Amino acid sequence: MPRIPVEQLKPGMKLARPLLNSSGMVLMAEGTELTEARISKIENMGVDSVYIDGPSRPARPKEELLSALEERFRKVESNPQMTVIKKAVREHIEAMYE
Amino acid sequence: MSNMDPRTLRIRVENISTIPTIPSVLKQLSAIIEHPKISLNEISHFVSQDPALTTKVLQMVNSALYGFPGRISSVNHAVMLLGLNVVKGLLLSVSVFEIMHKAMIGLREHSIGVAVASKVLARKKGLKEPEEVFVAGLLHDVGKVILTLVWPEEYDRTVKEAEASGIAIFEAERSRFSETHAAVAGWLAEKWHFPRKLCECIANHHRPQISSLAPLETALVHAADVLVKARGIGYSGDSLVPEVNPGAWETLALGEADLREVLKELEDSVEQTAEEFRA
Repeated sequence: MPRIPVEQLKPGMKLARPLLNSSGMVLMAEGTELTEARISKIENMGVDSVYIDGPSRPARPKEELLSALEERFRKVESNPQMTVIKKAVREHIEAMYE
Repeated sequence: MSNMDPRTLRIRVENISTIPTIPSVLKQLSAIIEHPKISLNEISHFVSQDPALTTKVLQMVNSALYGFPGRISSVNHAVMLLGLNVVKGLLLSVSVFEIMHKAMIGLREHSIGVAVASKVLARKKGLKEPEEVFVAGLLHDVGKVILTLVWPEEYDRTVKEAEASGIAIFEAERSRFSETHAAVAGWLAEKWHFPRKLCECIANHHRPQISSLAPLETALVHAADVLVKARGIGYSGDSLVPEVNPGAWETLALGEADLREVLKELEDSVEQTAEEFRA
């Protein structure tokens, strides 16, 4: 779920997380569909951004994440258990870009 | 100051409330939870008097991690739902979160990651109290914060040494301080009367095979730590992934589908939680 800056909110988007005030009270429930009125209410609360339903893409390119993965595992290449973990992480990273 | 006497180290750590660099909230908290017979009411009362702490506790229990998002509006309610042990752990974590971030950039994200992964794994293994394992994950590296607070320059050098030589941070700590962050946090957890299982998870998260009361829980936190490092979430002083303990990994017997699920939950909840606590 992407975190969207308030100025980019549009009616029809749905909150992926409840909106809480500073003492933890729920102001808008999870799943609330945004309207113009609700968006201006959010603006007035001084919130910078909110979570919206939908897939979010990593900010960094895939190649960068994969080469960082290789680098992190360089000392444990020969360990079969670590190979299983590395494979799972690699597939996980690849799936984020599909 | 290599080869510090382990007893000296332990005494300093156990008396953190007298160390000038320790933030006041941590001192108060330490005084409160050192009482072995503290009641739920006393804890609630203590938390409620501090608006910042109240906010953080409510943020934490209302975050998606705890499974009652947006539903808990009072500290009393939070304390009743989560129980004394979880709340004590939570209080310690929320009060060190800020310091954590200053102590080591990325340690907070790493700790949240390990907490989430520990909890998901605990659920998979059918443990009755996944929340307690969550707290163990959240606190497993709190010893790093304590070491930084007590010996800021020496700890900074230790991190740089580990980085330069490619050894694990806990090995670098041992050669400089005679003990590791895991032992340091374990002493504190004991002194604060955390449940013994929780103390074991924290103290033995690098060597799960020596846990006798909570071997499974310790194995979970250990594996979670390795998985979070493998995914590269946050920073814990180790830039390389350490080897998983073979015995612990075998005990857990995680399949490919399990790993996929843990990684997915990690991805979803870490970013959110980290953002919530950025304030």
